Parts: sequence; C-alpha cells; structure tokens
Amino acid sequence: MISRKTRLFSHILGAVILSLLTFIPAFAQDDPNPNSPTPIVISEPDSLRVLTAASSVKSGKRAGLTQTVFREGSYVTIFVTNLSLLENEGVNAFRILVEDQQQRLYRFPVVKLEQLKGQEWIYALTFEVRDNLGFWQGPLEIGDAYLRLTWRGLVSNPVKIALGRSGGNLKEIAGAQPTPMKMFADKPGDDSSTTSNYVGYTYSGDRIRFLEQATFGPTAALDHRLRRIGLRVWLAEQFDMPYPSVENPYPDLPLRSNDTNNATLGCGMFASGSTERRICLRDYYSQYLVQSWFFKEAFYGDAQLRHRVAWALGQLWVVSGVDTQQASHVVAYHQILSRHAFGNYRDLMKDVTLNPAMGNYLDMARSTRTNPNENFAREILQLFSVGLFMMNQDGTLQLDQNNNPIPTYNQTTVNNFTKVFTGWSFCNTGTNPLCPSAVAGTVNYKDPLLLNQANHDVTAKTLLSYPNAVNPTIAANLNGNTEIDLALDNIFYHPNVGPFVSRNLIQHLVTSDPTPAYVGRIAAVFNNNGLGVRGDLKAVVKAILLDPEARGDVKTDPHYGKLREPVLFTTNFLRHFNVGSANLTMQSDGVVSTLPNAMGQNPFYSPTVFNYYTPDYVIPGTGLNGPEFGLMTTGTAIARANVANTMTFSRLNTSADAPAGTSINLAEMTALVQSDPTGNQLLDVLNTRMLHGTMSQSMRNTILTSIAAVSAATPQARAQQAIYLIVTSSQYQVQR
Amino acid sequence: MGQNRRDFIKKSTCALGMAALATQVDHFGLMSALAQKVDDRQETSSSAGGNYKALVCVFFSGGNDGNNMVIPNHNDASISNYSVYSAARSTQGLALAQNTLLPIAVPRIGNLSYGLHPSLGPVTGGNNGIHELWAQNKLAIVSNVGTLVAPMTRAQYQNNSVPKPFQLFSHSDQVSQFQGGRSDASSFTGWGGRSSDRMTQSNNPGALIPMITSISGAQLFTAGQTTLPLAIANAGTPLNQVLNPTGFSSSAASVARLNAFNQLRTQDLGNDYIAAASHITDQAMQANAALSTFQEVTVSFPTTTIGRQFQQVARLIKKRNDLNVNRQIFYCQIGGFDTHNNQLVSQASLLSQFSQAARAFYDEMVVQGVSNDVTTFTMTDFNRTMNPAGSGGAVGSDHAWGNHTFVIGGSVLGGDMYGMNTASGTPYPNLTLNGPDDADNGTNARGRWIPTTSVEQYAATLANWYGLPANDLPLVFPNIANFSTTNLGFMQP
Repeated sequence: MISRKTRLFSHILGAVILSLLTFIPAFAQDDPNPNSPTPIVISEPDSLRVLTAASSVKSGKRAGLTQTVFREGSYVTIFVTNLSLLENEGVNAFRILVEDQQQRLYRFPVVKLEQLKGQEWIYALTFEVRDNLGFWQGPLEIGDAYLRLTWRGLVSNPVKIALGRSGGNLKEIAGAQPTPMKMFADKPGDDSSTTSNYVGYTYSGDRIRFLEQATFGPTAALDHRLRRIGLRVWLAEQFDMPYPSVENPYPDLPLRSNDTNNATLGCGMFASGSTERRICLRDYYSQYLVQSWFFKEAFYGDAQLRHRVAWALGQLWVVSGVDTQQASHVVAYHQILSRHAFGNYRDLMKDVTLNPAMGNYLDMARSTRTNPNENFAREILQLFSVGLFMMNQDGTLQLDQNNNPIPTYNQTTVNNFTKVFTGWSFCNTGTNPLCPSAVAGTVNYKDPLLLNQANHDVTAKTLLSYPNAVNPTIAANLNGNTEIDLALDNIFYHPNVGPFVSRNLIQHLVTSDPTPAYVGRIAAVFNNNGLGVRGDLKAVVKAILLDPEARGDVKTDPHYGKLREPVLFTTNFLRHFNVGSANLTMQSDGVVSTLPNAMGQNPFYSPTVFNYYTPDYVIPGTGLNGPEFGLMTTGTAIARANVANTMTFSRLNTSADAPAGTSINLAEMTALVQSDPTGNQLLDVLNTRMLHGTMSQSMRNTILTSIAAVSAATPQARAQQAIYLIVTSSQYQVQR
Repeated sequence: MGQNRRDFIKKSTCALGMAALATQVDHFGLMSALAQKVDDRQETSSSAGGNYKALVCVFFSGGNDGNNMVIPNHNDASISNYSVYSAARSTQGLALAQNTLLPIAVPRIGNLSYGLHPSLGPVTGGNNGIHELWAQNKLAIVSNVGTLVAPMTRAQYQNNSVPKPFQLFSHSDQVSQFQGGRSDASSFTGWGGRSSDRMTQSNNPGALIPMITSISGAQLFTAGQTTLPLAIANAGTPLNQVLNPTGFSSSAASVARLNAFNQLRTQDLGNDYIAAASHITDQAMQANAALSTFQEVTVSFPTTTIGRQFQQVARLIKKRNDLNVNRQIFYCQIGGFDTHNNQLVSQASLLSQFSQAARAFYDEMVVQGVSNDVTTFTMTDFNRTMNPAGSGGAVGSDHAWGNHTFVIGGSVLGGDMYGMNTASGTPYPNLTLNGPDDADNGTNARGRWIPTTSVEQYAATLANWYGLPANDLPLVFPNIANFSTTNLGFMQP
C-alpha cells in the first residue's frame, strides 16, 4: 500500500547490486516478505461509524445505552479484516486507540478475537470500553470519537465510535472512507504467488530499519550487503563474527594501584602537572580509552550486532565509571557482556555476579556474615532479572482480586539473598591459581571474586517462591560457592525472567512500547530456544529482530518506535556520512563522547545503577512509555540540535586527547547537489538512508524551500542545510 | 477545565495533528504573552508585581542518612539520647563524635539540644552554612517523614492491617512515591507538576516560561498532566545560552534554515514519539526567546554542581518580572547519597556542598528582597539503616524509611522541629533497634523508622503556603484524606 520507495537512487543502487548478485550464498535462508497487511476495521454501510455486534454487558458495569452508543465498562464487538495471524497470535497483539473530541487518547483492552464462520478472513474483535493507557481517569462520554486498531506496528483506517452519546464536534479526517462489510464479502485472493527466483532482499525500507535495530547505524555498504544476502544469513554471519575487530582490540591495560599517587603502580612517578601524569591519569584512571575504543568499534567494527547487544546489556546490568575508576576494570566487565551477548543469560548472571567491578559497585565485595550489605541482592532481583511485580508471560502485570499488582518478593527475600551473597571479595593473592591476573599492590578486578567461607552466612535461606520453584530454600551449612549457583538458578528459573529480559531488549533494539504479543513471542524463545534450552540470548536476539512486529518497510502505529538515545543518535548520524578523521584522511579516533555527553549520556558513566533512563519511564504529558525520553528535556533537545550543528557544519578537531579528530564526509552528498541543484536527488538519497522512505511531502517541501535559500554556487552548503534539518528533526530522532 | 486543554498528545491521526503549533503555544498562554511583550510590556509586567512565591525542591538522590544529619545531643534518658545513637553506630565506626555536632535547641522537645552534622556549619573560604539559620529561625526540621498510604503503627505494620507503600526500601519506587505524592500506586505525574496544573492559569497568566523549572533533567516531581517543565543546565551555562541553538546567523540561508527547523516540528505529528520530541523542542525554543538577557546574581555561589544549580535558580528568580511569573517551582538535585560504603567521607562532603549552596542561595534571596517569598525544602529517597553496613573506614548503611528534612526561608517558622509525634511523644523517632519505631523485627532488626509524618502532609504544608487552593488539595494529593493533619505548621500562615 505504501509505495514511497526509492526513486533515482534505487535505480543506481539496483545496477550496482545486480552485478553483485551473480553469487548467491549456498547457505541462503529464505527471508519472507516482511510486510504484514494493514488491518481494516469494518464500518457501517454508508458512514465512518464502526459496525458493531450486539454489545454484551458484564455484571456490575453500566450497560451500553443501545447497540451503537457505549459507556465505560461496555464490551463492544467490531469486525476486522486484512489480517494474517500467526498460530497463537491473539488478543494481546491488538490495541484499540480511541481519541475523543478533546484529543484525549485512550487505549481500550481487546478481550476476544474470533473468526466468522464461513468468512474466516473476517474477525469479530471484542474490546472493553476501559482505558488502560492510564493517563486519564476514564473515557469522557462526550460523543463521537475516532477509533483505530493497531497490530504489528500498523494502524487501521479510522472509524467513529459513540462514547456516552453520539454526535458532538468531532473533526472530520480528510480522505477517510467507509469500509462496509460488502467490500469484504468475498474471500481475498492468494497473493503469495511468485517467490521462486532469489533476487535479493529487495525491501529497502525494512533493510534500513533492520540496520537501525541491529547495528550502530546503517551504511551504504551494509545496506548493499543486506540486500545481497538477506537478514537471516547476515545474522548467522554476525553470530560468528570475531569481536572486537582485529584492528581495534580491547584496550590492554594493567591493573593499577587504587592510589593514583602511588609511585610505582599509580601515576606518582610523573611530576605533578606534567603531560605524562595527565596522560597516565587519563588512560588508567578514566574511561577515556574505553570510550574511544567503543566508538571506533561502533563506527568501523564488523561485529556490529554483538557490539550493539553488549551495549544494551550494559544498560541492563549497569556498572559505572562514576564509581569504577580504572579503565581496566570496565574493560574486564565489558568483556563479560560481549562474551555472553549471544550466550546464555544464566552464564551472564554468574559472571557479572562475581565480577569485581559489579562487586565494588553494588558492594557485594564488602558484604560479610557479620556486616551484610543488601545492595546487590536487591538490585539483582529488581533490575537484572525478575522485577518488582509478577508478570504474565507477555510481560503484562498479574493482578490480585483487588486489581493490585502482586509483588515478586519482599524485604525478607532481599535479606535472604543478602546472606547468600556474603563472604566474597577480591582475589588478590597471586599464588592462587584462581587469580592469575593478581598484581601485588593492586586490587584484582580481572579475575572473579573469591569466596572466604568464614565470612559467608551459612544459615538456611528462603528464596523466591513461584510455582514449581527451583531451589526455593537453601539448607544451612552449605559452601558459598554452591549457594551462588543454587540462588542464581532460583532467580533464573523464575517465570518473570523471560518477559523481563525480552521486553528490555526489545525496548533497546526495536520499540519502546511493544505489544504484549511481541513480548510473549520473545519470552517463549527465552524460555525455550526450540532445543529445550532456557536463556539462549542468540535465539532471543534473532527472534526480536525477525519478529513481524519488528519487520516491515513502514510502521504507522502512533505508538511505534523509540527516541534514539544520545549514543545511538551520534553513531547513526555519523555513520550515514562515512565518518572519518578531522581531515578525512583516515579513521576517526573515536574521541567523540563529548557529543552524547552534551545530550545527557556520557558512555560508561551512568549516573546510577538505574541507567541513564529507566525502562518504564513515561513521557510527561502522556501515558506513553518511552525510556529514552528520560534524557529528553528542553535543555538536551537543544543540545541535540547543537551536536547536529557541530558535526554538520564543522568537526571535532584534533587536540591533545584527540589525535585524529572526527568529521563526516560530505563529498557524496555534495556531488548529488552538483548533479541536481534543487536538492531533490539529495533528498531522495537522504530519505532512503535516514528515514527509510518515510519523509512526508510536507517535510520534503520544507527542506527544499530551505535548500533554495542557499546559494547554488555552494553545493556543499546546500547539502549541509538538508543534513542539519533532517538530523535535528523529530522525524529522524525517533527510530520507527 | 485546565486538564481538558491538554494539547501535547496529538493523537493518532495525521489530519488531527495540524493544529499543533497554535495549541502548543497556547499551552502557557504564550501566544498572547509574546504578542503583548512587544507592544505592551508595562502592562504585562505590572500583572506580575507584588505577589511572588517560589518553592525550591532539593532532592538528595540515593537516600540521605538522616540518622547522621540530625542527632540527639542530650542525655535525657526518657527519650533516645546521644548514648542510644552511639550504641547503635559506634562499634562499626559510623557514629559521629558528640563534640563535633553543631548544637540546635529544639523548643518542641523541651528545648533539648540536638546536633546537626558538622558539615552544615561554616567553611573556610565559603559561607557560614545553614546551621546559623536555625538560631535566626529561618531553618526548620521536619522529622520522621516518609512514604505512607495511611498512618501506621508498628503493630499495624507487622500485622498488615494498614496498606503499606509498595516496594519499601527500593530506590526507584520510593523516589517516585516521594516525588509523585502518593504511595499506593505508581504515578505518571509529580506533586509539583500537579500543583502547577491547578495554579498556572490563575497565577501565571501570560507567563513566558512554564511554572516549573528543573535544573536537573527530567524528574517525576516536575511533570503534570498539562504542565511540562522547563529543564535547563546549571549556572555553568549562562542563562541566555542554556536553550540557545548554535550556528544560526542573520544570513538568508541561516534564516531559512531556522524557519525550516521550526516548521518541521509542526509536521508528522501522527506518531506520538515524534509529537513528544517536537513538543519538548518547541518549548525550549519558546523559552529561549524569553531568556535572551539576564542579570548575574550578587552573592558568590560555590562552584559545585549543586551550587551552580542554586545559582541558576537565583538568576531566574532575579528575572521573574521579565518572565511575568508570580509562582515558580524549581527542582535541584544532589546525588551520591546511596552510601552503602564509605559514608563518613561521602556524606560529609555532600552535606557540606548542600549547606554552602543553600546558604548562598538564602543570602542571595535576602539581597533580592524575596527571602520571605522563596522557600527551599529537601526530599530524599528514604532514610538509611541505623545499624551500619560494613565497618571501619568503609562503613556505610542500607536502605530504610522515615527521615528528616530541612525547610529554609524567611517564611519558615524556623528554629524548631515539626512533624507528627512518634511513640516517644516527640516527632523525633526512638533510635532503638527493634524498638517502637523500627519496622524491622527481632534480633537482626536494623533500624528502619516507620514514618509518623507522610510525604503528603509535608508537601501539603508547603503547597498551602505556595497558594494551592484547599479544594485542590485532594486533586494534588489523592490520599490526603487519610491524614487528619494537613498542615504541619512550619510555614507562616
């Protein structure tokens, strides 16, 4: 239905790609059409009013007044078609969005979905007139409102529904047409006709969207490759790609004394105020080298997906340079994240639990039988695994008989886990074979924490309780090493972990407010990867990226997408334009963290264990979940524009700490303006690459007008004009 | 019908999104105000004269250990005295020496002496701190404040006969309850934001900026249904640069770019994330126009983060007539209070930073002649366990509950302690582990005081002074009816 595909650009691109298509990988896996059909809500024969079946009434609720006027508590059955449902895809894949005459938006819960007998392509869908977006107290009963259905990120045609009474002052929607039942009387034809010859993954919008979700930003080269080999082969490659890149290994840093002034193991051998001392402090006692390594890998690394997933996991399992001073400590921590990014969640839990940086950050390394510390015990439950409230497998909250959420655990549970985690500390004895990295005079942040059983609380413990709980209790007098595994299994097998982790990763990669159906599909993969294995992150990541709610050329659901966090905004922007050194003769040095920092996100320096923003952040003035909006304020909104200004019209020049500097390369875009001074050709390319073809006509016109105000004698300035406007636009800053 | 005017969410349909700019501008009465500003400046500023009031919230992020901020400094054996305090904390090294405490006499508790943390006094090269304001009756303490759904005794806590705040002792939840002003459910809005919702139209007609400004990013406290806060950088950035987009000039190309930059925000609002981002940017651009000039403050502020936050607040207050505001709420935050370890050094530093900054701010308000119109108050996640975590040099404490707060200003009935009485007959809790005020039970009890004064009572007292109409109180604080006393009396009527 949407055909704002590439124009000239695709022809040029097509020619290049055809020449590459002579080789089709023998291991090619079929990538189906990523586009789901757009749902259609059926209206009355001659109006936009929604066609309803007789409303049923739940006891204790107010009744519908008639069959066409509805009140809070009414159950309404409408008819929907043009769906293509997966097995088990049901009510939680749908949302009813209703906007009333005062522009209040509600989400009504869908409670039932049935195929019509004899017309299986039409579904009867029942919802309750009850807002569960939660921003307003309840729907106003002030007359007609617009109702739309959303499914897999796509929004249906608008229809009218009468709340409390019909009529009122509802604005007309230009172009809206009735969709009467008679239009859908016949079974639709089968359009899955021809897919025999593999001609590449031709869905250009979906390719760009996929790369926005799976990498640090689309590039022309990646897009070409994806077109050639498809999503599934690319994923298979990524899962086995060496990491980090051979050219950009992890910074190899020795452990240093905690005392920066130490004369042999600190920076005390260099005179105060000397350049050598400044560099020593910068390299060993700040995250400077970690940040520049991170951005070089994001800009140029081949193992983009592992780097991206590790970045997401690092925002779930947070440690921070605010507390963890030495870069070597953070490197050791990041190695765990990247090692397990496609591994098993249980292994990640164990390795992070015993990692010294985490042990220091959340105090487990100091927690003893006689002086216990609750910090890690509380946060591993609340933030890293099960969360505060019991969930259904689709991530929605379970409610008790009073409609209140059910706590997952209480303070007593925290106290018991605190006891489990007592007795562990840094492994500083070089003669211990478990501590090969220990260096006398330093604290060992490279090898796992070591148990001192004498400091371990050996009393019996009561852990998380849930149906068929694994290890709900731990007997007295066990070894702390044994207890760690018993307790982590108790957490790992809690039914919340699947939906909790799945929803979090979906939010980081794809969309801020996924449907419960999407979360449920991923949680099912977390629970069982198909081979009976729980916690397989490779399977989870693959499922997230290939889900029908993630895939498709265009998403039209008003609640689909996510604000680009500052780090991803920075890397996506710069990667579009062949980011290089300040003079563009070599690669960037990766010293760019000032850019995201100005926008509120200094990488590897999360302000707290709650990350830069919380997964459940609700955008003020809405009921809408949008985690990254926790960093979007009036101040940082302007900072985003100013970062765009700096990098579009200038660069990060070389300096004492930036040996190469960083700049975008405008040559390709300038050439497009030279070839077509109006900027149309330029906008075709920018629309395809940056907005995956969603640039509206009004946006295009606005930018073209602005381009025309720049002298045609300066084609680069025309390109810059357009780039600045797209990069600063909300249309670009929201990945959707 | 203020809450019906919410323009922010341009809902689901493309066609419905087009009235956006006009309604967004109308949001703070800005359209009319901007128009007036050019032609009719005197008239608009005269409407702002005379009746100014501001609340400044300072959030101690991480959970400040109030047990080491306000300490019994007496030997009265009938209530918790210094010995009780010391017995609970000295073995592990967390007790402050009695001779280092800064004494304050508390009329409410028989003029007995309590002690403030030694960091709250004079600093060489700085100012005299906030301790001095106690004797000047400009500093009050509200004791044992915390999240509550309804008043609760220890017995009720233990037998679950009164609903508890959900997820006690968890940072994120307790912060959101403190800032949200209710403890029985999660909030999308804060009590600062909801107060602003109720009061913006009546008190700030024609204001050029929102009623609320955060100098510390997006915070629940500042969010209302119709109120969206301004959020700006601290005084390290001049006021005329905090929201100023760089790179624009008067060249034709630049003017065209700025026009397009503004115009794009009125388009494609069918996606709510796009609408939200555009709205926030819009608001920034409007406020930027209002902040193009400013005057520097008179008093010397510390160059700490919290000092610069207070300084930025002071700059805005100095500009209040230009901005045409009668009521303002500010949010500042100082982080690092989650002292599970190394508490002695960390907390001393943080409290000193706060004290120095808050005192400079108070002094600046005196210079500006508005010290009676501006009230500073503190909030924090929760108190910390009386029983320390760890011992020796690394000693810290864990998450707890009821805590002490500061209120500072010329309209504060200072020099006294406020709050509902505990079982001791004073607002200050009994410091005995497993004692009458401890939520913990048994031999491992760690001293988590059950609050006797709710967040709502504390906040309602401030909101009442600020001018929130009494009949709006239940709208801002949904559970206020659960508490018989809604004014704790620490503000002048």
